[in-house]
Amino acid sequence: MTVVLGQDLTKVYSLNGRQVAALRGVSLTIAAGEYLAITGPSGSGKSTLLQLLGGLDSPTGGRLELMGRRVEGLSDDELTDLRLRQVGFIFQRFHLMSVLTARENVELPLAEAGVGRRERSERAAELLAYVGLADRADHRATQLSGGEMQRVAIARALANRPALILADEPTGELDAATGAQILELFDRLHQDGVTLVVVTHDEHLAARVPRRVHLLDGRIDRDELATAR
Amino acid sequence: MTWALVVRSLFRHPVRTALVVAGIAVAAALLLDMVMLSGGMERSFSRMLLSRGFQIRLSPKGTLPFDTEAMIPAITPILDDLRADPDVERVGPVLATSLHVRVGDSLLTLVGYGVDPAGQGLYELEAGADLVPGDSTGLLVSEPAAAAAGWQIGDTIRLQGRLDPQSARAEAERVVTVRGVVRFLYDARGQRSVGADFRVMQRLGRFPDADPASMVMVKVRADDRVDSVAARIARTHRTVEVNSVAALVVQFRSRLVYFQQLSLILATISLVVGVLLVGTILTITVSERIGEFAVLRGIGVRRARVVRLVMAEGAVLTAAGAIGGVILGLATARYLDAILTSFPGLPAAISFFVPERTAIAKAAVAVFVAGVAASGYPAWLAARAPIAETLRADAE
Ligand SMILES: Nc1ncnc2c1ncn2[C@@H]1O[C@H](COP(=O)(O)OP(=O)(O)OP(=O)(O)O)[C@@H](O)[C@H]1O
Ligand SMILES: [Mg+2]
Repeated sequence: MTVVLGQDLTKVYSLNGRQVAALRGVSLTIAAGEYLAITGPSGSGKSTLLQLLGGLDSPTGGRLELMGRRVEGLSDDELTDLRLRQVGFIFQRFHLMSVLTARENVELPLAEAGVGRRERSERAAELLAYVGLADRADHRATQLSGGEMQRVAIARALANRPALILADEPTGELDAATGAQILELFDRLHQDGVTLVVVTHDEHLAARVPRRVHLLDGRIDRDELATAR
Repeated sequence: MTWALVVRSLFRHPVRTALVVAGIAVAAALLLDMVMLSGGMERSFSRMLLSRGFQIRLSPKGTLPFDTEAMIPAITPILDDLRADPDVERVGPVLATSLHVRVGDSLLTLVGYGVDPAGQGLYELEAGADLVPGDSTGLLVSEPAAAAAGWQIGDTIRLQGRLDPQSARAEAERVVTVRGVVRFLYDARGQRSVGADFRVMQRLGRFPDADPASMVMVKVRADDRVDSVAARIARTHRTVEVNSVAALVVQFRSRLVYFQQLSLILATISLVVGVLLVGTILTITVSERIGEFAVLRGIGVRRARVVRLVMAEGAVLTAAGAIGGVILGLATARYLDAILTSFPGLPAAISFFVPERTAIAKAAVAVFVAGVAASGYPAWLAARAPIAETLRADAE
């Protein structure tokens, strides 16, 4: 099953009247269960592409389908609902709600999706256990280390069982050892069948990912499967 | 979950939140005081005038009761006529004059009221016995008069009437006995007043006009007959001014118009201050946390929910402020009332600030609604932040 179908995607930002073309025609198909790394030099459009795939921003041109559904022309509420139920985001800077506990951060998207209180807390406990933080459930986000925060963020991204997990430099703020733990968690997600797209500068990360898409100046420069080597 | 976010966000800056709540409370207190002030005097005035159920006042032509020292001449035929009216339950003539009494070697000046014990609407008995009709040697004294002269119930006193301006000697004197302590309803705070039989007081006053009265209070049996009785008295007795309490309240109100406008303007200003406070603080908070709102939107929280989150913060702030404001407003109103009612010449029974449940509710609701409305703009700011751009800016 196809999770992402992007055809000739373009994104032009206008900055002080100047046009900046961040994506210049990207076509990309991602099947369910794939684990994909997007690499490329700074400014090549990696984050921009990820934001389009996650419905955080809309393309200036081209065509994008998520889970078989056209994204262009969706209303703001429909797009929001798509992000809530079909996509899970993991940010470089974790972006947890600092006033909430780990458990509450994971429950947040569940509550928004209308999941009942009881089921919510069960699912949050389950997810925190999955990322290895069962004993930190009641800590405020500010009381957690960077690696722990990122694991809470991963649990939050998984909350509504999305079709697609998107991560933008998930290890960028972490030291090597902590980053490695996150990568192990990603491997486990992949083994469990989650579709995973990771933007990274990290060669270690890229090396262990089955499919690597290399961007250069807003275009796909290489799209290679590890097995093809 | 929403409330956890709202309340904890407010507690993130406890001092700031407390200051804003205090600011809203002050604005709300001022608003409440102004709302109480705008209607309070009128209500307490009417309550005071009706306190013994007399709905009509007769005063000298062209004056209001107790407004001048003028007198109604030849009162007896008027009283007889009023008593003959089947609609009239009681008739209470009042004569006010100044009296003197010697205490040690100084002369104490008193306000003397002549009353008819059978139809008096002027005082409430506090201790001792009331006058009975025909008691021409009894005296009722106010607490301040008793305290100043050192009188006890049962004491015998020599009252001196009006002094002759030339000789400074009283033209009339009378020996009376203190029967009771009363509270004269229209007295100012600390006023030294005494009451005696109407005819006794007429003689002590030695007025050049024969048979005068300062005022007559009339109690009508049925409230719905008040206007027609007042009209009838006005028609038959052209020498007196006839006013129902309702008409007096209307006159009083017209004197208070500026006062009410002033309180309305001040109330509006305090409401505007409250709105600005809430609007400012929430706008600041929202811009500080704009990244957080973008994250919420990014993980699938709808715009409407973000709006509700911010509005709920505004609601919690203003609700806390409104509660504080009611407490503060009632306290300051009591304090201000104490200052204002000790004004010389003002009846102690009148209040400027009357705490009425509807006034309190009105002020609290006005503050709350204004506060929630004021959070509309910051809520909109939070909800419309472009997600991708804000997250990118936040990461830098
Ligand atoms: N909101 C924006 N307004 C103007 N230009 C933008 C905006 N967002 C991105 N750009 C530009 O688009 C281009 C691609 O940016 P993008 O963030 O996607 O690159 P990236 O590959 O993620 O880079 P990095 O590795 O540094 O994160 C850059 O030239 C950037 O300056
Ligand atoms: Mg980037």
